[in-house]
Amino acid sequence: MIRLRGVARRIWRVASIPLLAIALAFVVAAVVIVVSSAFTSTGFDLFLPIGAYSSLLAGAFGSGNGITNTLVAAAPLIFGGLAVGLGFKGGLFNIGVAGQFLVGAFAAAVVGSALAGAPTAVGATLAMFAGALGGAAFGFIPGFLKARTGAHEVVTTIMLNNAAVLLLTWAVNDLVRAPGFSFPRTGDIGNSALPILLGRNLHLGIPLAVATAFAVRWLLDRTTIGFEIRTVGQNPNAARYAGMRPVVMTALTMTLSGLLGGVAGAIQMLGVIGFYAPGITASVGFDSIAVALLGRSDPIGILFAAVLFGAFRAGAPLMQIETSVPIEVIDIIQALVILFLAADLIVRRVFRLRAAKAGITELKTVTQSWAGGAGPAAGQGS
Amino acid sequence: MKRLLALGLAFGLVVAGCGGAGLPGGGGGLKVGMVTDIGQLEDKSFNEFSWKGVQDGASAVGGSAKNIVTKDIADYKQNIQSFVDQKYDIIVTVGFLIGTDTLAAAKANPSIQFFGIDQFICVAKDASDKECKGDVPANYQGLIFNEAQAGYLAGIVAGTITKSNKIGAVGGRSDVPPVVSYIKGYENAAKTVKPGVQVLINYVEDFNAPDKGEASAKTMIGQGADVIFQVAGLTGAGALRAACNAKIWGIGVDVDQYLSLPDSKACIVTSAEKHLQNAARDAIKRFKDKGKQTGNYVNDATNGGVGASPIRNLNPVPAGLEDKLKQATADMASGKLKPVP
Repeated sequence: MIRLRGVARRIWRVASIPLLAIALAFVVAAVVIVVSSAFTSTGFDLFLPIGAYSSLLAGAFGSGNGITNTLVAAAPLIFGGLAVGLGFKGGLFNIGVAGQFLVGAFAAAVVGSALAGAPTAVGATLAMFAGALGGAAFGFIPGFLKARTGAHEVVTTIMLNNAAVLLLTWAVNDLVRAPGFSFPRTGDIGNSALPILLGRNLHLGIPLAVATAFAVRWLLDRTTIGFEIRTVGQNPNAARYAGMRPVVMTALTMTLSGLLGGVAGAIQMLGVIGFYAPGITASVGFDSIAVALLGRSDPIGILFAAVLFGAFRAGAPLMQIETSVPIEVIDIIQALVILFLAADLIVRRVFRLRAAKAGITELKTVTQSWAGGAGPAAGQGS
Repeated sequence: MKRLLALGLAFGLVVAGCGGAGLPGGGGGLKVGMVTDIGQLEDKSFNEFSWKGVQDGASAVGGSAKNIVTKDIADYKQNIQSFVDQKYDIIVTVGFLIGTDTLAAAKANPSIQFFGIDQFICVAKDASDKECKGDVPANYQGLIFNEAQAGYLAGIVAGTITKSNKIGAVGGRSDVPPVVSYIKGYENAAKTVKPGVQVLINYVEDFNAPDKGEASAKTMIGQGADVIFQVAGLTGAGALRAACNAKIWGIGVDVDQYLSLPDSKACIVTSAEKHLQNAARDAIKRFKDKGKQTGNYVNDATNGGVGASPIRNLNPVPAGLEDKLKQATADMASGKLKPVP
């Protein structure tokens, strides 16, 4: 009993701020829903948030299909969240998951459609590898630039996001356009689609995502590389003094981060979308940053955060059908969660918590990054 | 204690969420659901006008309408499926990108009627068939538009207002038939209205490059063109920008771009418009009156499916222009006038 209490206390200590931030976000979004209801055809409705949130919940968890939809939406967010989280651990802010996601999705689509007739074991596996490789390559570029020249990864990854969109649009238009469609797109992936394990759409990517979360945790906590990534993230100078090579670790961390982002795109391509076309939006890329922050960069925390964000996406259609509350409310809730996480003083004031015992360190990475903190190559500490 | 209170508040919220049942859908009658293209509902473009048409159609047949807004391509399937699960009678999907998922849903749910706005349904009979000889599901109809007629109306406007006797058209890709139809209609009309007019045509071969569109339009303007018609998506937005910067006239495409492209509203005279609202409304009525709809349904002058958007920015509107447009529409409807002979 006492042990149980100890565990609960420990969980509360790590998770209190994120959980309360979520609760507060729902409350504030409820106010937005009520106020905006006055401007719709249905008219002012004080109880609309209850209807909207219950539809959201029913859509996400109220049925077998709802739950699988939630998990399907969570899978790429787990990979994306791990990508951003791993970067945070290494002191890097990878905003480039959107681009790495697209490159991974595109590579998987091209290889997948080329092997559309091959057995699934071959096609899906090779397409996954292609996605991982594409993402890793696209993560290596900003990693290399940072390690070699000190070019800030926030700037380079944002620019590479745009580069990815334009590059892939050109590639689909002029290199791999499939015949027989009125608009540019790649061919069907056919047999290369990830096998469905359960129900309508629960694909292999979901157990893979969960396994990867544990693998990343193992990498960070139990291996030399993980230790070096974390040490470099916390203090590149100390790391160098200890005989590590921050420059190499920076490039490696970004490459691994990009690899995870690429796999996020690949499983989304092979598990859900099925073809690449210009105009594909990578909302996963930016939601991943929020997932990593909410999960406090901890792989297990990221699992939970991704399921929450997946639930938003899976529940949103029912919310729109049953209550006509616009899907933008989801964006508002997600944004508020991040706002309250960043300004945790608000949360602590509202809920009268004493000063947080453990600060949210990954947010420090964010602020450092935005402040233009020097890279390890520049040889300055922070 | 205070912490307990906080916890209670958090859980209370979750419990409140679990409580109340969902609101029931609209009363009796047909239930019509619409899944949008990626973006937002009030986009002053495809989503918004399709949704207006779906609402009009639903109320015309005594039914109810709901929409789901799509934010990510990965959500198409699930959004369509949500309406299927809620036992909707008609599901309307918007834009060509969602066509693949709509076709799959139509095959899987033969009791539900599907309409695809701006979707040309092509079912191949076998691997070698490039001409869509396969059977479209009996419960799926693509709502397409006669672009040549819309382009013809735009050409009448361009031919009437040009002073330099040179007009231009910027096309997205020369291998996309609707783009070519728009421009052919435009060219023929301008030459009919003003014999001797020179029509400069450039296919940029790219729909997503505003800078190329701008460069293309600038070249035409340099050659003396004083009206530019864009049929090139984002590329075309660049062409219209060039027209505005040069203080000449631009003509939009697909929807009333005076509304959808506020940056260029100062110089857009009209747009070659697909009447999405009419098309969606009439489709729902057709289903109510005649049952299951299939194939590709062409919206054209005979059914009010295409037209020229209201004339803007011209003060006064040149004498007889409105009459010419009306006459041409009537003649195309009766079959007397062929925009592309």
